[in-house]
Amino acid sequence: MSLREALESGRFAVTSEVGPPKGTDVSQMLDTAEKLRGHVDALNVTDNQAAVMRLCTLAACVHLAQKGHEPVLQVTCRDRNRLSIQSDLLGAASFGITNVLALTGDHVIMGDHPQAKAVFDLESVQLLEVVGALNNGTDMAGNDLSGTPEFFVGAVVTPDAHPIEPQLAKFEKKVRAGANYFQTQAVYDSESFLGFMETARSFDAKVLAGIVVLRSAGMARFMNKNIPGITVPDAIIAELASAQDPVAVGIEIAVRFINDVRDSCDGVHIMAVGAEHLVPRVLDAAGLWEVPS
Amino acid sequence: MIVVRQKPVDEICAFVTRHRRVLLVGCNTCAAVALAGGEKEVDLMAELLRLATSRKASFVEFSGTVLTRQCEPEFLEQLDSEGYDAILSMACGAGVALLASSVDVPVYPALDTLFIGAAQGLASWEAECSACGQCVLGRTAGICPITRCAKGILNGPCGGMSDGRCELGDRDCAWVLIFQRLEKFGRSEEFLEIAEPKDHSLRTRLVTWDAHEDGIR
Amino acid sequence: MRQTQVAHRSGLRDEQQRLYAPCRARCPVHIDVPGYLAAIGEGRFTDALEIVLERCPLPSVCGRVCLHPCEDGCRRCLLDDPIAIAQLKRAAADFGVYPRPEHPRLRPEKIAIVGSGPTGLTAAHDLANRGFQVTLYEEKPLLGGTMRYGIPNYRLPDYALDRDIDYILSAGIAVNTGIRVGRDVMLDELAASHRAVVITAGLQGSRALPIPGVDSPRVLTALPFLEASSRGEDVDLGNRVVVVGGGNVAMDVARTARRQGASDVHVVCLESSDEIPASPQEIHDADIEGITLHYSWGPRSISHEAGTCALNTVRCTSVFNAEKRFAPSFDESVAECFEADTIIFAIGQSADVGDLGIALTSRGAPQIDPLTLKTSIGNVYAAGDVVSGPTKIIDAIAAGHQVAATAYRDITCDTEPLRLLNEEIDTLGEVPDTMANKLETRRRIQMEHLEFFDAVKTFDEIEGGYTEYEAAREAQRCLSCTTGARLTREKCSLCLTCIRVCPHGAPILSTDGYVYFDAAACNACGACQSQCPSQAIVLEGHSEQEMSRRVERQLWAAEMDTALMFACSSTPIVPNLGGTPPRIITVTCLLRVSERTVLEALQNGATRVVFAGCVESTCRFLHARELVRQRSGHIEVLLSRIGMTNAFDFVEHKADDLDWHLR
Repeated sequence: MSLREALESGRFAVTSEVGPPKGTDVSQMLDTAEKLRGHVDALNVTDNQAAVMRLCTLAACVHLAQKGHEPVLQVTCRDRNRLSIQSDLLGAASFGITNVLALTGDHVIMGDHPQAKAVFDLESVQLLEVVGALNNGTDMAGNDLSGTPEFFVGAVVTPDAHPIEPQLAKFEKKVRAGANYFQTQAVYDSESFLGFMETARSFDAKVLAGIVVLRSAGMARFMNKNIPGITVPDAIIAELASAQDPVAVGIEIAVRFINDVRDSCDGVHIMAVGAEHLVPRVLDAAGLWEVPS
Repeated sequence: MIVVRQKPVDEICAFVTRHRRVLLVGCNTCAAVALAGGEKEVDLMAELLRLATSRKASFVEFSGTVLTRQCEPEFLEQLDSEGYDAILSMACGAGVALLASSVDVPVYPALDTLFIGAAQGLASWEAECSACGQCVLGRTAGICPITRCAKGILNGPCGGMSDGRCELGDRDCAWVLIFQRLEKFGRSEEFLEIAEPKDHSLRTRLVTWDAHEDGIR
Repeated sequence: MRQTQVAHRSGLRDEQQRLYAPCRARCPVHIDVPGYLAAIGEGRFTDALEIVLERCPLPSVCGRVCLHPCEDGCRRCLLDDPIAIAQLKRAAADFGVYPRPEHPRLRPEKIAIVGSGPTGLTAAHDLANRGFQVTLYEEKPLLGGTMRYGIPNYRLPDYALDRDIDYILSAGIAVNTGIRVGRDVMLDELAASHRAVVITAGLQGSRALPIPGVDSPRVLTALPFLEASSRGEDVDLGNRVVVVGGGNVAMDVARTARRQGASDVHVVCLESSDEIPASPQEIHDADIEGITLHYSWGPRSISHEAGTCALNTVRCTSVFNAEKRFAPSFDESVAECFEADTIIFAIGQSADVGDLGIALTSRGAPQIDPLTLKTSIGNVYAAGDVVSGPTKIIDAIAAGHQVAATAYRDITCDTEPLRLLNEEIDTLGEVPDTMANKLETRRRIQMEHLEFFDAVKTFDEIEGGYTEYEAAREAQRCLSCTTGARLTREKCSLCLTCIRVCPHGAPILSTDGYVYFDAAACNACGACQSQCPSQAIVLEGHSEQEMSRRVERQLWAAEMDTALMFACSSTPIVPNLGGTPPRIITVTCLLRVSERTVLEALQNGATRVVFAGCVESTCRFLHARELVRQRSGHIEVLLSRIGMTNAFDFVEHKADDLDWHLR
């Protein structure tokens, strides 16, 4: 069952992510994917994540697809103009890769090539529309395509953004631009997330709650300070700080959150951020280990 | 106005030390207002270059003058560059370019042209316009997202916004400001209109503009 | 001279030609007061003295005894105290070096000046400097007139007067003392042998009231008494002295009587305490010296009895009539009797020129044409107190300039000096509240003076004068009126930096799109001038060229590895750098030392330039220290970029209590 089928059938979906390597050796990426085989509906493949240059997303997706995984092609607008983005999308479709996640992308200043020219010819909302156009058989300029892709296109939203109003407005724009599903930025406060879901439910879009497994109080504090849109509540930081095995507690927190929200949203997206080995433990603990086919 | 700032003097030194008689030409419009290319800065730069070159035992003569605007041919006609073998222009890029096209000796820039900006107070400016040739300020409550958003995006804040600040950490998020101002004037609905991708060909084609051809004059 | 007191906004002009600070406007000779105060503030006493001498050849005299109408106009009056303008003039004369005369090409015309008081000396000086052959005629053995024989030595010692006179005579003036024109030499002889004669004889006549009992050896008049005292003669007055009169001369007589040994001195005057013409300062000093004033008594007679006498008076009910004319009325029923060993009349002086043979007025003064200043003899002029009656010394000096310029015009047909003297001027308006609110209160620095119990024993000068440091600090209280920013509109790039940097709102953006300066709100801090990118702003009292010359002079005499230090004049102590002592240039504020000046100094041989900044408590100008710090930082960056990291230093004093005694 594909991600599209899972979500459209109303089954609680699970996605996770893998990062392409800096270099040509894709073995570690494939190992990680292997560990998650059968436990997730799809695997996001990041696109020069955090503006750090890596092996290209499309190639990584092809590797994964060739091994029988279901990849989600993350597309950012930072590095490519509208020609390049469209041609990459067509290329992906030609390999049967149809899951797309449209992002604006971190600024090049944040990454390892800060001197680079940032492109941003398009941004996430416009990219969603471009994908919609391709699905309709035309490119941005209105030219007909020979062979029409069938992308299942998603976007991201930050439920804990401050201020939240412009973020919600942009969420609405993304729905109108054709986003089929949303993966959220990591959230920890289930009450605030449920509040967000009330707004989200008024739109026709699926939402996968973002999960990042906390490994220590220090990690939580670092994310609060440095990652836009992530707020780890003080109570959770205190819980981690007093824990004998903070990793275990981090998993417990993640599971608790999943249990709190699973009836209100359509799935979870678990981001490994350097600890892919923890993803199966979370899924196991949350009772999501088996993906029904 | 065009906001400019002086290049580091060592970079300028590298240009001029190859010459014998160098004329510094200031500009009493934007460059003066930006406190980088008026008479005071011309005098100071000349003195600094004298000091720098004489310390290296090279003998370069520096003189200075100021034009009202370097980006007008008529003002350039007032320039007497006879006898100089190089010119150091203390104007924005437009001034340097026009000056370079009107003399037969090398013209070097002493300034870096930063942006089209507005004064924030004493010796402080903010970029306000990117000369995109297709003004969007009417939709964005007078705040230019192309200039003031680091990514120049057109449909709202990106995920990098945090507490109203840009992910680059050096500015407020333009889209939060736009949202708040639209809301203040009861125009929140406009925020929801999806802005189509910009037509960059307009910008690309704008290398000259002739008002007569447009039938405007 | 016509003056128009103009409103505050009238400062709104970018070119001020004849806009004078009130001190300068009120000075009858318009000494450039802000100019010389600025020089003293920087410790340049010789420059200050030269500025004073441009308008007043008697700085040492005026620095001591001028009644300083300037100070009444001082714009600091409303804040705390006026600047000690007069006393600072003395500091200029005390510490400055009188310039050597420039002998202009000698003209053939000879001019005689009759009388060597302030009017005569001034006229002689002006005319000699214009090339005429001038001869002074003086009846007394020494020059100076009233200044020598009228003003007591405890206020104006001879050495102070001689210093000025020596300077005046150095212009090449011949002197004939001991010669009374009209007796020893006839006026028509002088008139025949000179191209012009100027009568500046002053008021030499001294009289008593024509009342019964006045003809007695116990009854004296003011001038002979003062003259005898000034010659050092002992006058036997007895213990109890009554002085009749209410003017400054009466106060001088009373205080001189104290020094002649009278222990009980009374001043009896016609006027009430509100009307008394003597200056408040003189009255105050007389009071301190134990002199008693009796107001509103009119002398009627003097009775004599066994070596003592008594002044019999009645109540004066009013001095002036409805037309403000002198017409005293009395209440004869109220009488008072003042017993005395000596009675001295100090009720006014009169002209004593009856023997000159010119037409006189009913008061005995020379009759002159007020336009030409000529007497009944065609080439004989008269000016000064002899014509106008008693005035202040500074008025007499003004009269000297006027008559000199008039005679010069008549001889040469050159009207320029006369036109300049009488040009119309504008006066700067009051300190606007917005500015006053931001200015710190700084009281006048009081100079050392003799305590009265010592003072009344001798004729020694009472006031000790400022030290150089005190003088500089006092001068720094000056608000530098009219010496501030002037904008050349043609150069202005309208960057508005001046508006943003001015702490007092002096630059104004007008609706016509130009920047104007409100001179009334400018205290010449130099912030705008220091920041103006177009060099469109200059300070009236400061020039870059002059700064370059000062730097050049210092470096000319400098040794090989000499640092050049620019010291803020407000810094209480110049830092010790160790090594070869630096050459020091003291400046009003370090903002006046541009980045370019620093680089130029390094280019011209200074091995290092040091800024010695002031401290918070002594800084004269709002925000200036912040701007100086910024400028220093900028200079450091510039120099480090060309590999001269140690060529510049900015030293600021931490110690804030260094000159507490001056605050």
